Amino acid sequence: MQNLGSQQMAVDFSHLAEKIFPNIEPGEHVIEWGWFVVNDSVFSGFIVVAVLLLVALILRLTVIRHWKTTPTPIQMFLEWLVCFFDKSADEMTEKYSGLMGPYTFGAAAYICCGVLIELFGLRPAIADLGACIALALCTFFFIHALGFAKNKARRLLHYLNPINIVTDLAVPVSMTFRLFGSILSGMVIMDMIYLLVEGVLFTVVPIVLPAILTPLFTLFHALIQSYVFASLTLTFVQEAIESPPKKIKQKKRRAKSLLAAENATAAEA
Amino acid sequence: MELLVTMIVNLLASDGALLGAGIAALTGLGAGIGMGIATGKAVEATARQPEAVGKIRTMLLLGLAFAETTAIYGLLVSILLIFVAV
Repeated sequence: MQNLGSQQMAVDFSHLAEKIFPNIEPGEHVIEWGWFVVNDSVFSGFIVVAVLLLVALILRLTVIRHWKTTPTPIQMFLEWLVCFFDKSADEMTEKYSGLMGPYTFGAAAYICCGVLIELFGLRPAIADLGACIALALCTFFFIHALGFAKNKARRLLHYLNPINIVTDLAVPVSMTFRLFGSILSGMVIMDMIYLLVEGVLFTVVPIVLPAILTPLFTLFHALIQSYVFASLTLTFVQEAIESPPKKIKQKKRRAKSLLAAENATAAEA
Repeated sequence: MELLVTMIVNLLASDGALLGAGIAALTGLGAGIGMGIATGKAVEATARQPEAVGKIRTMLLLGLAFAETTAIYGLLVSILLIFVAV
């Protein structure tokens, strides 16, 4: 009689390390075309970008060209999607919402689709430290560029406090590792489940278990991480562009100039 | 005594990384407690003022993201210890 217990536990996890960190074994998970050598996840990143651009082009040529006053479902979905990001950008970064709305939308779309490509069996584009660092550095650049654009030289006062410098430098690091860690851990758990399913020969487990766990670890992660990335970017930018406390005299002058500007616009109108 | 020291050294040299991975996974404790408190407070706030549910949800998700970060760090460290250090 066969020992069922030993058969259940005979799951081979030795390929997992290679799957998770492909640089350990060079040559296998690297795609080469002549001088063009890229990682697995960079390749799926290219696919994601191409698909996103193609979808955007198709929607631009079909739906947006025939924009109607009585909206079709696709038009309503597009409006909701764009308004969702534009509204939250409007609330957080009043003046720069024209810049931050599209940026957060683009980053969220890239993160979401870059994770969802895992459903097609490719390595997720975000499960690579380079992609996460690139996104986090974009956010870092936006935070400081907009901070200087809004507050001009007064922004330099912010750096007099050394703790502020440390906090600012920690922002890209923490964003990088939040994104990388959550996506990688989701991928690891799914890979482990697939290996487990291959090892265990019961009929019910292979069908039911991945079907339940894939939405949990892939879909939720994709949506939640893209939302968190977008809203964190907006929060940090809002923090950077709020004007530092000033003396009363300057405030009065500012209020006066604001009043004058309002009067001028009112007169123009 | 000497035997004990050599045993401990051998243990740390061979299985220390796995032990560390187990310890690093304990970050889930703090993150779980923090996220539980945050969610409970959000439920209380929603029960007290149901019309503010949108704002509460936004703040809750942001707070959960920050609390989750520590757990993710721990998970990342333990994954690295298991698959890279050994």
